Amino acid sequence: MSNKKKILIVDDEQDQRSWMATFFEDNGFETITAVDGQEGFVMAQEHHPDLITLDISMDNESGIRMFRNLQESPETASIPVAMVTGVSPDFKRYIESHKRVRPPAAYFEKPVDRDRLLKTVRELTAQNVA
Amino acid sequence: MESTHKTYFDSMPCFVSVQDRDLRIVDANKRFHDEFGDVDGRFCYQVYKQRPEQCEDCPVVRTFRDGNPHRSEQLVRTLDGREVSVIVYTTPIRDDNGDITRVMEMSTDITEIKQLQHQLRDSQERYRMLFEEVPCFISIQDRDLRIVEANRLHREAFGTYYGCQCYKVYKHREKECSPCVVRSTFEDQAVHHHEEVVTKRDGDRMNVMVTTAPVRDADGNVNSVIEMSTDITQIRQLQSKLSSVGMIISTISHDLKGLLNGMDGGIYLVNTGLKKDDQERTAQGWEMVLRNVDRIRSTVLDILYYAKDRDPDWEETRTRAIVDEVFDLMQSKAVDHNIEFTREYVTADGHFEADARALRSMLVNLVDNSFDACRLDRKKESHNVSITATGKPDAVEFRIADNGIGMTRDVREKAFTLFFSSKGSGGTGLGLFIANKIAQSHGGSITLESEPDVGTTFVVMIPRKRLAVTTDPAGEDGAPEAGLNL
Repeated sequence: MSNKKKILIVDDEQDQRSWMATFFEDNGFETITAVDGQEGFVMAQEHHPDLITLDISMDNESGIRMFRNLQESPETASIPVAMVTGVSPDFKRYIESHKRVRPPAAYFEKPVDRDRLLKTVRELTAQNVA
Repeated sequence: MESTHKTYFDSMPCFVSVQDRDLRIVDANKRFHDEFGDVDGRFCYQVYKQRPEQCEDCPVVRTFRDGNPHRSEQLVRTLDGREVSVIVYTTPIRDDNGDITRVMEMSTDITEIKQLQHQLRDSQERYRMLFEEVPCFISIQDRDLRIVEANRLHREAFGTYYGCQCYKVYKHREKECSPCVVRSTFEDQAVHHHEEVVTKRDGDRMNVMVTTAPVRDADGNVNSVIEMSTDITQIRQLQSKLSSVGMIISTISHDLKGLLNGMDGGIYLVNTGLKKDDQERTAQGWEMVLRNVDRIRSTVLDILYYAKDRDPDWEETRTRAIVDEVFDLMQSKAVDHNIEFTREYVTADGHFEADARALRSMLVNLVDNSFDACRLDRKKESHNVSITATGKPDAVEFRIADNGIGMTRDVREKAFTLFFSSKGSGGTGLGLFIANKIAQSHGGSITLESEPDVGTTFVVMIPRKRLAVTTDPAGEDGAPEAGLNL
């Protein structure tokens, strides 16, 4: 069994999935990908990744819906989620003030600062070790 | 007794005179004398008509003739020259043999009533003119929302449809609107305002500001509502253009951030690929960079097209080449979203004059729209989008067809308007508007056929030859003035 931490990348843009997977793999992670929130939630339940990067600017709010589903499901509620988005900081405030959902573990605006992303992901996955 | 009758005679608050067969006045009451002076023995037509001869339809003469009382309206002139409108009643006076020897003429002053009548008529005329000529659309609806009255502008714009429901006439709906301001006014008898989009009988859409007010009858009941609409289309267009800058900036910046992220990712792959001497990764990264740069370019061009009218960059364009380029650009997105994407050429390849880049952008936009329609549709197992090019003698036709969610009539009618987006926060609302602008700038058109839950087809017609130019067609000194009104 691999010692590598597993990251689930959820983004509807192929380029994003592609480079993020390569980037994480270059830095010692194992990666799986999903094209939308629906697929992402199924994969989260199946693979129990150590971290999920979730694009919430996907159409039809599928990212938001997935985020809510993750929190409401006991088997996925503890997986840290790093939200990636192109929308303004207002949205971050909206998410944090929304009563039904807890805020995400981390929040990144595109274009993502790779160094910061890596540092945060390392912290979050190390914290998750039992 | 006779003096009592005389007292009554003199006290009557109207003009009373008695004429003989020659129409001489033989008796008159005090009021008559006061207004018309010393009259006994004079002809009546001289006294209060100041005529040299008998009036044409004289009620006194008629009574002498047929023995019946008569009523008529007359205009008489008093001693001081004042004109008085009167209602005249004539009564025959018979002798012991039953012969009519005299006729009594009783006239009541109705001048004031007449004046009020005139004023009322004038007032009604004034209001009718206001109603008819005021430069906004006015209609009056009953409780069933049927149009009972409409002013000239309304009739010219929407047709004359008294008895038809308003929502059918200018909303092209089968059911009442929701909300309906007319209905609201019926319910609370208060004034309401709302902005609407209506369709004229020539098919043009209009933004209007609607105000509704209750119309009360004499008992104070509200049985009809007046609806007044002002055309604010131009204002909205101007306003949209101005206020949209913020919206565009945030939408574009959102798109650009995503694209920059993609480009950044590509650069990462190129750098690490070079470092690891991994040619495959380097190539993949470079492709990503190019792809995202191209998409950034399209986004910026979209802004330019919106912000500043551009003349087409005319060049000889191959029909198949355009279709192939669009197909290649959109293929991977179709695969990602599990949409079967096909292309077809109905006729042999041909050429036409166009701004290839703009046209490509337009077709990409329409294909993207079709992809979104497929994604929104939850009722079908599989989705397909096709792009078909057909060469006609004078034009080229592009058809983009999908089996997505389709559009209802009111959605169809608004589809090419500014900031129309039925995709919620997903769409920018610019896409179809710009696509339409591009087609029009080529002298062509986009039409759409759509059925809810079935799908949509966009049909783009582009003339083979560019529009006739109004200045020197040689185009040596820059883009020719094509007389376009973008």
